[in-house]
Amino acid sequence: MNIAMRRLLGLLLLAGSCALGAGAAQAHPHVWITATSEVIYAPDGSITGVRHAWTFDDMFSTYALQGIETKTKGVYSREELSPLAQTNVESLKEFGFFTFAKADGRKEKFQEPVDYFLEYKDAALTLHFTLPLTAPVKPKQLALEVFDPSYFIDFQLDDKNPIKLVGAPAACQLKIQRPNDGSANAQKLSEQNFMSGDNSNYGAMFANKITVDCP
Amino acid sequence: MRLASGLARALTIGVAAAVVVLALDSLVSAVMAQNPFGAPRPSAEPQVGGIVGWLLSKQSEFYREMSSTIRAAKSDGSAVWTLLVISFAYGIFHAAGPGHGKAVISSYLVANQETARRGIVLSFASALMQSLVAVGIVGICALLLNATARTMCGAEKVIEIVSYALIAAFGARLVWTKGGGFIRALQAQQPVPAIVGAAHHHHGHGHDHGHHHDHHAQDHVHDEHCGHSHGPVPSELAGPGGWRRGFGTIFAVGLRPCSGAILVLVFALAQGMFWAGITATLVMGLGTAITVATIAVLAVSAKDLARRLSGASEGGGALIMRGLEFGAAGLVLLFGVGLLFGYIAAERVTCL
Repeated sequence: MNIAMRRLLGLLLLAGSCALGAGAAQAHPHVWITATSEVIYAPDGSITGVRHAWTFDDMFSTYALQGIETKTKGVYSREELSPLAQTNVESLKEFGFFTFAKADGRKEKFQEPVDYFLEYKDAALTLHFTLPLTAPVKPKQLALEVFDPSYFIDFQLDDKNPIKLVGAPAACQLKIQRPNDGSANAQKLSEQNFMSGDNSNYGAMFANKITVDCP
Repeated sequence: MRLASGLARALTIGVAAAVVVLALDSLVSAVMAQNPFGAPRPSAEPQVGGIVGWLLSKQSEFYREMSSTIRAAKSDGSAVWTLLVISFAYGIFHAAGPGHGKAVISSYLVANQETARRGIVLSFASALMQSLVAVGIVGICALLLNATARTMCGAEKVIEIVSYALIAAFGARLVWTKGGGFIRALQAQQPVPAIVGAAHHHHGHGHDHGHHHDHHAQDHVHDEHCGHSHGPVPSELAGPGGWRRGFGTIFAVGLRPCSGAILVLVFALAQGMFWAGITATLVMGLGTAITVATIAVLAVSAKDLARRLSGASEGGGALIMRGLEFGAAGLVLLFGVGLLFGYIAAERVTCL
C-alpha cells in the first residue's frame, strides 16, 4: 500500500516538475535587438565600463513609440524620446541590463547607466547607454555576455564590427562568438533537458559571447 | 495481492502513456517535416534539437513576418490573406510549444471528469477570450486613451498576475475537492472506518455530507459560489447546466493576453490597419484553440484509457483514478503558484 502510494506520488511529482519545466521553455522572442557594444578602457589599461547601442526591431519600435507626442508626426527628437529612454533604462535594471561580465572568472557588477538616449532612424529605435563597472578592472581575460535568459528578447550582434575596444592596450585580443555560428555547441540543449525542466537559463544558448584577452 | 496487481496496473498505464507520448513525438516530427506551410525547413538550428527547437524557430519566423506583411497590406489588399495565413500558423505553433494555458485546461479536464467535447469548447472559448482581452487592452489603452507602451505593459502585468492568482485559487479549490475523493478512495482500500467526509469542511461552512461510497466522490463538484452542487454522473456531464463550471477555467486562462498579440495590434494600429490587427489576433486565437483542443482531447482520452485499464477491480482501480484526478488538480495549483511567484519566469511580461 505505502509503496504503491509513494510511487504514485513520486510519479505525479515527476509529471508536475516536467510540466513546469516545459512551461519555462515556452518562451520565444517577441523583441529583436541588433546590438553593437564598446568596451571602454581607462588610460592605465583598466576596463571602466561597457557602452551599448541596441536597435529594436520594426514592430517593437512602433510599439514603444505608442502614445508619444511629437511636434512633427513621425519625427522623434532625442528630447521627445528622453522620457522613454528613461523608462527603458529603468526597466532594464530589473534584468541586469542583459549584460553579464566576468573578469578573470569573477562576476563584475555594473552601476546605474549613464549617457542614455534614444534615436529614431529608418523606422527603428536605437537605445544608447553606458554601463560603468562598479570598480574598474584590469583582468587578463574579460568575458562579456549579452542575452536574455528568458529569451523574450533575441540579441544579435551587428554584422559589421559589433564590438569595439575603446582605448585598449595594443596587445589585447578580441574574440566574438555568436549564438548561431555552431561554435556554441558546448551550450547544446537537448530535448531531454527541456523535458526534465533543466532550462532555468534557457536563453543562455542564444548568448553572444565576447572575450578580450590582454596578456 | 491486490497491492501487487494494482502496482502492475499502474506500471502498465505508465508504460502505455510513455508509448503514446513517444509515438506522438515521432509522428509530429514526421508530419512537420513535410512543410505544411510551404516554408523551407530551416537547416541550421544546431542549439535546440528536435520538435521543440523546430517549433521555436518556426513561430519566430511567422511572427517576424507579421510586421512586414501588415506594412504590405496597407497598399496591397492581397497581403491581408498572407497575414491571416501567417497568424493562423503562428497561433498553431505558438500553442504547440510547452505553455501554461493548455496545461491548465488539460489538467482541469483530467481532474474534473470532463468529456472531450467540453475540452474542445473550453479550449476555443479561452482562446477567444484571450484574443478579445488583447483587442480590448489595445483598443482602450492605445486607441481611446492614447496611452504609452509603458502604461499598456503595466496593465498587462496586472492582468497577468490576476490571471495567475485565479489559476492558483482554482487549483486550490480543485485540490480541496479532489483530495476528498482521493482520501475516501484510500480509506476504502483500508478496512478502517475512518473520519469519512472530513475533507468536506469547506471554507468553514462545516457541511458534512458523509459520502461513504467512493464512486460518488468523483462527482462531487463545487460551483463558482462555493455552494455545493452534487455533480451528475459522467453520462450527464456534457449536459447544458454543466457548462457553467468550466467558466472558471476559461476565465483564469483566457484573461492573460499574449504579448505577441498586443505587439501586433499596436503595430497594426500605428499603420492605420487596426482592423487587420484584430482579424490577425482572432485568427491567431483560432490556431491556438485548435492546438489546445487537440492536446485537451488527448489528455481526456489518456485518462479514459487509464480508467479502462484500471477499471477491472473496484478498489485499486478507483484509487488510481482518484489519485490521477488529485494529481491533476495538484498540477493546476502548482502551475498557478509557480506562475504567480515567478518560478516559471519565462512566462512573464517583459516591459522595456
